[in-house]
Amino acid sequence: MDMVWVKNMEPIIKVENLTYAYPTSKDFVLKNISFTVNKGEVLAVIGPNGAGKSTLLKALNGLVPHFYGGKYGGRVVVSGFEVLNTPISKMSTKVGFVFQDPEDQISGLALTVWEEVAFGLMMLGYPREEIDKRVREAIDYVGLTGLEKRSPFELSGGQMQRLAIATVLALRPEVIVMDEPTAQLDPLGKYEVLSVIEKLAVSGSTIVLAEHEIEEVVYFADKMLLLDKGEAVAYGDTRKVVTMVEELKRRGVDPPSVTELTSLLKEKTGVDVALPVTLEEAVKIYSELLR
Amino acid sequence: MSVGVSLLKKTTIEAETFVQRLDGRVKFLYFLWATIIVYIFFDPILNLIFLAVTMALAVYAKCWKPIALTILIIVVPWILFAVPILALPLGFPWNKTIIGYINILGKDYPVYLEGLGWGVTWPLRIAVAISTALLFFLTTNQAKLVATMFKMKFPFKLIYMVIATFQFIPLLASEANTIMQAQIARGLRTDVGFVQKIKNYLAVVIPLTLSALNKVQIRAIALESRGFSAPVKKTLLYEASFTKLDYAFLMTMLLVTVFLAWVYVYIGFSPLAHLPWIWSG
Amino acid sequence: MSEIIRVEDVWFRYEGADFWALRGVSLTIKKGELLAIIGQNGGGKTTLAKNLNGLLKPTKGRVMVDGLDTKTAPTHEIVKRVGYVFQNPSHQIFESTVWKEVAYGPTNLGLSPEEVKQRVEWALSEVGLQGYEQYNPYDLDYGKMKLLTVASVLAMKPQVLILDEPTTGQDHAGRRLLSYLSKKLNREGFTVVIITHDMRFVAETVNRVVLVSNGEILMDGSTREVLNAFDVLKKAAIKPPQIVQLASELRKKGIDINALTVEEALQEILKHYKS
Repeated sequence: MDMVWVKNMEPIIKVENLTYAYPTSKDFVLKNISFTVNKGEVLAVIGPNGAGKSTLLKALNGLVPHFYGGKYGGRVVVSGFEVLNTPISKMSTKVGFVFQDPEDQISGLALTVWEEVAFGLMMLGYPREEIDKRVREAIDYVGLTGLEKRSPFELSGGQMQRLAIATVLALRPEVIVMDEPTAQLDPLGKYEVLSVIEKLAVSGSTIVLAEHEIEEVVYFADKMLLLDKGEAVAYGDTRKVVTMVEELKRRGVDPPSVTELTSLLKEKTGVDVALPVTLEEAVKIYSELLR
Repeated sequence: MSVGVSLLKKTTIEAETFVQRLDGRVKFLYFLWATIIVYIFFDPILNLIFLAVTMALAVYAKCWKPIALTILIIVVPWILFAVPILALPLGFPWNKTIIGYINILGKDYPVYLEGLGWGVTWPLRIAVAISTALLFFLTTNQAKLVATMFKMKFPFKLIYMVIATFQFIPLLASEANTIMQAQIARGLRTDVGFVQKIKNYLAVVIPLTLSALNKVQIRAIALESRGFSAPVKKTLLYEASFTKLDYAFLMTMLLVTVFLAWVYVYIGFSPLAHLPWIWSG
Repeated sequence: MSEIIRVEDVWFRYEGADFWALRGVSLTIKKGELLAIIGQNGGGKTTLAKNLNGLLKPTKGRVMVDGLDTKTAPTHEIVKRVGYVFQNPSHQIFESTVWKEVAYGPTNLGLSPEEVKQRVEWALSEVGLQGYEQYNPYDLDYGKMKLLTVASVLAMKPQVLILDEPTTGQDHAGRRLLSYLSKKLNREGFTVVIITHDMRFVAETVNRVVLVSNGEILMDGSTREVLNAFDVLKKAAIKPPQIVQLASELRKKGIDINALTVEEALQEILKHYKS
């Protein structure tokens, strides 16, 4: 895909004062959250379990509130559609959602990988030739070429999750939302999936992802949102948020090891260095510092 | 060459015989037809003929093992259990005709035709029903089945529930195994009395049910997010239509039906075994 | 230290499978050890772990647990000695209160009601769930459910505790808590075996690492040895933790640093910095 640099002023996702409580509980799981995502940006949502990350992500494609019900306040607009007034099936043409557990996403109706990728297009009534074209593209993009005729259940965790991504890509959404996509995967699976996500990020897709693998996510996330107990505690450029070591630790989130190390070093010695966020940056800083 | 994935298994079917190629509706009709016929007639030998034909088809379609296993587990013990109880003078009300004697512990006991007939015919009827149903499930390509039901104007959500249930049976079976292991790791013992066995059963069934319900919910969410409820006409990948093969099979069934109707009228309801009539027989 | 588990040239094949899941694995675990079994999914680490407590029996070779052969001794005797905490809490939890759930194990052992009560109270306090006795397990958040499963196996007071992927699905705080709990239990005398692929967790928690790949043990050594054996880890498609990678890169540049965790790296760097 060719990269086209376009300065787009209108955010593709606008969240304003989003407040939400599930119908079965009186506690608000999201409190007054506001942020925007521009086209082509990657936003990483971090925070401890129970902070509301999943719920926030589900508010982007309409599962919240349409599937769950509950108490809803504020406004979420994605690709020009206000989520509150748009049915999930319509939102699914704009927002693709990848869940945490690869096996739970297999539709159960498709016998082969090929059909699974075609599933969403079938549900939305696309014509046959269009389906064929998009399925081919999506399968090749995530690297599952050659596995088309296999049963989805025969795939490894990493392959299954890439399959889930392919089913989403086939719908050509404007925004891709991923809820801890690597949490249930082994290291190889994590690597496979993160590679696809990075590929998507580099080619200009708009992605919102909740992840615990902070050390990997910093490589391609443009912005970060730190959530805790339903509140947006920090929001901004990745570098800015991920170097707020004390704030992160207070909320039970570990910044990248090298970032934490350097922060502690600065505390102890007062040395004046920038905080690295990746391994490569750390190597550079320390090889100079310790020469 | 794989023909896709069969129901009841999550692995791909690797055979492509004419049985797999028959339309799902035809195979389903075969199941209904065979079951009804063996019910109309009261003849264990006829039942065996149907069973043999079905098993021959299964062997040819390379899916005979699960069918044979199921018959072995359900039907054979039934026959072995029912025949002695019914055929011996133990109270089966229609026992009249003695066909021989059997010597047990020094005494001669009469063996009755009615009880024997009943004890053999009923399990075999069930065997025919099970084998034809399993043949259908094991050789029917799932997507074709979906297309078939869709053509028959079944509501889409219902189709989904039926198919998904079958897809998830093997998943749940392997979960049940894991749960059993987890409970054994906490001291669950299998060498116990009846009451404890019930508790053991709950220790597996409860987590399994909760897990299944949870899976269903998550899957529903995932499907919703992929346009499942979109009020548009769904595109299906397969067209269900009859081929010459299907017509040939249907024609065969029709001819057999005509022949059997003639047999029923002129020879009777028990043409081969000549069993006497029994109410509820 | 004496041996508690000995794995002797074990070959294992699942029923109906045509490949060997374990191929000639030998391993000795001494009382009081704190070790991790790492490797890719499908590589054999879970299969190996389940052979250690009698849930699976070796196809060839044998596993000795506290002097008992897992193939001949009754499973419930082995299970008493080697506790196994499964990865998914919902694969175990079936009682309606936390208390009953933890009581299930010791009750199965045939202990008296007073002993069961003692065990439950002790186990809950070990994992930090005291006060939650009457809660419905499904009202707990995932982290606490995990602790509940640990408590329910702990209540059987096994000599060895196997934790299967304890950090999967956990957030960072949860991981740190499990690391702390593992070390605490080990200090109290439990032999702890952790199956995991979280390398940071391994670096921060265990002393010994066994790397299983394709049914074989590729490497068995101290945490420091194994996590620094980059070429071996690469064969198993495993990446060492960031700190270990940092130290290695710095060593390549002539700076002599050897660290597994952030704290250790800090100490090392402070030493260098002072000089």
